[in-house]
Amino acid sequence: MERQIINKKKRVFSVEPNKIPPSEVFRRKYTSHLVPALKKLNMNKNSPQINQLSVKHEVDMALALSAQEFSWSRFLLQKLSSSNNPTTTSSSSNGIRIQERSGKEGGGDEDGETEEKLRELQKLLPGGEEMNVEEMLSEIGNYIKCLELQTIALKSIVQDTT
Amino acid sequence: MGGESNEGEMGLNHGHDPSRVGSTTSMPLYAKADPFFSSADWDPVVNVGGFSSSHYSSVVMDNPGMSCFTHYQPGSGYPDMPTSLLPFVDCGDGGGGHFLGSDKNGDSVGRLIRAGESHDQVSDDGVLGVSPNRKRRQAEAESQRNKKAVEEYREDPQRGSDQSQTKHKDGQSKETMNKESSQSEEAPKENYIHMRARRGQATNSHSLAERVRREKISERMRLLQELVPGCNKITGKAVMLDEIINYVQSLQQQVEFLSMKLATVNPEINIDIDRIIAKDLLQSRDRNTPTLGLNPFTGFQGTIPNISTTTNPQYNSLPQTALESELQSLYQMGFVSNPSTMSSFSPNNGRLKPEL
Repeated sequence: MERQIINKKKRVFSVEPNKIPPSEVFRRKYTSHLVPALKKLNMNKNSPQINQLSVKHEVDMALALSAQEFSWSRFLLQKLSSSNNPTTTSSSSNGIRIQERSGKEGGGDEDGETEEKLRELQKLLPGGEEMNVEEMLSEIGNYIKCLELQTIALKSIVQDTT
Repeated sequence: MGGESNEGEMGLNHGHDPSRVGSTTSMPLYAKADPFFSSADWDPVVNVGGFSSSHYSSVVMDNPGMSCFTHYQPGSGYPDMPTSLLPFVDCGDGGGGHFLGSDKNGDSVGRLIRAGESHDQVSDDGVLGVSPNRKRRQAEAESQRNKKAVEEYREDPQRGSDQSQTKHKDGQSKETMNKESSQSEEAPKENYIHMRARRGQATNSHSLAERVRREKISERMRLLQELVPGCNKITGKAVMLDEIINYVQSLQQQVEFLSMKLATVNPEINIDIDRIIAKDLLQSRDRNTPTLGLNPFTGFQGTIPNISTTTNPQYNSLPQTALESELQSLYQMGFVSNPSTMSSFSPNNGRLKPEL
């Protein structure tokens, strides 16, 4: 099924030794981007408190660099490079969005609801608002995939250091 | 890749006159213009730039991933084409894909149809240069339009811009017209995506395009449904979208939480990157497979020395060969600095997979 979404990667889970599953490719790229960046961050900042935002910045940067085939990664890179303070954390607005959504579900015709939700989804995806809906839906697919891989990679990194 | 697939498609088309072979000069353009089989590095500018006709009215444009254009017959004004025509491979399975024929002459045929349907006949005449043909085309096109509403699009930039090819079209126009009428029941031609109006549904071109768009959206939603865990039983766009939104939000929250955790742990991050990566590779087998929907193959039990303190007994033996190759490539990249580690992997893998 991933074949259909990450088409360019041509996901074939074969036993051929030369084929590397693209999830592994992503994870390798991701960790190879993130860990040196964190080390550098660690070394540069001699203050004991590592800025959370800068860590988040590095995390996002590693994600964007590891997934350069997708258009959302370009948007993410743009966002990261333009703002040194990545205040685009979605967690703060997450709760609000959920409240809004449940409030709107009661009324409105179906199409309006759907449109509303599609718009919300667009907001979640970096650069989603600049895409049209069909494109956004396919980009969301591989964004989800990369987010999953990213969480796995982050978990293993965190586990490794604790 | 575009070239050879185009040729493959060519073979499928039986209705073609051999005189078409003469227009092989147009092959490269067609090959490039073939929306469904282009590779990732296909230069889209070649095709988009060629569009100069004013016949095209509004084109409902898809994402770059789907290069199916729907085109409205009435109306005027030519909207901006997307800059990237990177096709979505799955489009072949989608609503429009199977309508694509590989007819190299699709260009001419399609153009004939368009000539019949469009308001501005002059340029077509100038291109094709035969007025009785035009009338016939028009009549044919009208009849076709009356029977079924057909939406087409062409990507081929040849229209009105390439003289050599039009001459070929000229010679073939009569035959292709016949074929077109006979083939009006099937889905013709190369660069066109035809949608048939279903019975009892409005054949208004606007609603047709709307329906195409909706179908594409619902197809994407189906793909997303498979991606988001636990959405197999959900039917209905709104609920599905809810789930997707929730899932994306939760993933993003997870990433944030983990990065916060990482920030607190960061001072101790003097770990070997190779250890992390190697451990990642091993543990990812176990963790990724449920996520990716693979069936974990529990053929391997054991620990890999020097690597992980927490051993996951169930390893997916399927990617073990990939593991070895990955480690080798990692080693080459300089990440795995310990050659003894490398050698310790091989015997394990050898035990796993006899063919290694």
